[in-house]
Amino acid sequence: MIQLKDVSYVRLGSPDLESAENFATACLGLQIAERGRKDLYLRSDARAHTLCYSEGDPDDQTVGFEVEDEASLQEAAATLEQLGHAVHAGTAQEAERRKVRAFIGFRDPTGNHVELVVRPEHNGRRYFASRDAGITGFSHIGLNSTDPARDERFWTQVCNARVSDRIGDIPLMRVNAIHHTIALVRAPKAGIQHINHQVETSDDVLRSYYFLNERRVPIVFGPGRHPTSGARFLYFRGPDGMIFEYSVGVDEIEDEATHRPRQFGFEPTSFCMWGSKPAGMTLPNS
Amino acid sequence: MNNGRATLLITSVCYVRLAVSEPSVSARFVSDIFGLQRVADQDGEIDFRSDDRFRTVSLGQSSADGASVGIEVWDDAALEEVGRRLRELGFAVNGATASECRRRYVQSALFTEDASGNRLDLVVRPTRSGRRYFPPRDAGIVAFHGVGLRTTDHTRDLAFWHALGAEVSDWVGDIAYLRIDGLHHRIALYPSNRNGLLYAAFEVEALDQIMQNSYFMQESQIRIVQGPGREPASRQMFLHVEGPDGIIFSYVNGMAEIDGKPRLARQFPLAATSLCDWGSESKDIPELRAPGR
Repeated sequence: MIQLKDVSYVRLGSPDLESAENFATACLGLQIAERGRKDLYLRSDARAHTLCYSEGDPDDQTVGFEVEDEASLQEAAATLEQLGHAVHAGTAQEAERRKVRAFIGFRDPTGNHVELVVRPEHNGRRYFASRDAGITGFSHIGLNSTDPARDERFWTQVCNARVSDRIGDIPLMRVNAIHHTIALVRAPKAGIQHINHQVETSDDVLRSYYFLNERRVPIVFGPGRHPTSGARFLYFRGPDGMIFEYSVGVDEIEDEATHRPRQFGFEPTSFCMWGSKPAGMTLPNS
Repeated sequence: MNNGRATLLITSVCYVRLAVSEPSVSARFVSDIFGLQRVADQDGEIDFRSDDRFRTVSLGQSSADGASVGIEVWDDAALEEVGRRLRELGFAVNGATASECRRRYVQSALFTEDASGNRLDLVVRPTRSGRRYFPPRDAGIVAFHGVGLRTTDHTRDLAFWHALGAEVSDWVGDIAYLRIDGLHHRIALYPSNRNGLLYAAFEVEALDQIMQNSYFMQESQIRIVQGPGREPASRQMFLHVEGPDGIIFSYVNGMAEIDGKPRLARQFPLAATSLCDWGSESKDIPELRAPGR
């Protein structure tokens, strides 16, 4: 079984790195770690980078997960190949661009581009935000799925993800104590549906709501509160249509052995217990 | 805060009596929309509960006996003391008749006005209710919390409240947050060009209810005059909503507690960031606005 430890980074293609940088610093509030000729590295926590924009097609979207060591990586590659997934062994140069020791790339059953990485770089200097959004770190992603039941099996049986809760047939899955690291989202094609950063307090969620509104950043859902994880949230749209989320107060699953996923109906109150309605963002199942 | 007495002079803001043009219309807002429990309809006033007190809001026709804010006084001796102090400062203080006390559901009372002309009932032993509070909808209201008052003479009005034992916790410009118990404030005085109640605030359980009520008001097409927001000075979250005749009712939660240690009132500038930490602004209520925006 592939033991995912945590989500490590997201890599996004973008035709316009300048707009991406403006948004990431002036609106989202990330710190620029490094500007390559064709890459923009952004920090959100103690890690050297958690988001990277590369000059290219916005449909090129990759999520990286950390695994224990190189032996685990080889094992994972063997498992995936056995199941018929084409596995790309990262070159030294590619690993350097990802600021990791080693990695492999493959596609999940929906076709999402996933990388497993070993020893992603941390940075000795603390994270210093470009604006006071209160970000404490990159935390999870919403991942498109053309068949949530099939993909749930992949993430929970081939990998070590566990289902924390379900809304309709949409699983919220964890790879560690945090309520979810991967939220599957029913969609017609592969892609990252949203990128979550945690913030310090619910004050930060509300402050960003007014802040982003004033800057005419489209708020697509929230401010709200998920009854599943308990998190207060705000979703908004960034460059190339990517949706970003701030949230705070995600529950931890305290007892791994006895936790049973709860079933929520597929209805608006299962996504927000405050009464906010998605605007310009489709709910995962529709 | 006790002015050298063993007990406090005043202990709470215990009710607001509002004079409105159409009590039955306003009553629908107060119960169906805002979420208070309608408990009585007598002597031309409609009464509402928000906690274990018999009533904390009354609606009456705009008439002689008009609007007032009830301030609970410790006991009859304290009432006498408060009356003496106010008279000494030149404020008119009048005794209440038995029928006036009955109308207010209190055992004894003195009627007075601050320098702006806000009518205040100083009352002893307001009536409690034996049955628990049961609201018409799940707005999460826990208790009547306090009031914002408009003031046209804030120096004299401060002298008035000092005489009752209130102290300024913080200033935003000349807005004064007045403390009468262990919380940052129960009364806030807002400089204005007229007198009257600015808002009546009701505490809800948590941020959840502030936000749920915010979406409920949007769906009910009720005007939100400010919020959801958070006062930086008191750390209190708020949502101010407007009912018929421009009355403002507020949901609040999270106000800072203040221990007994001596503490200086802090001065904040009259700026948008002093009135809301989150960034909400009031477009139409001058008292809740900072100039220049």
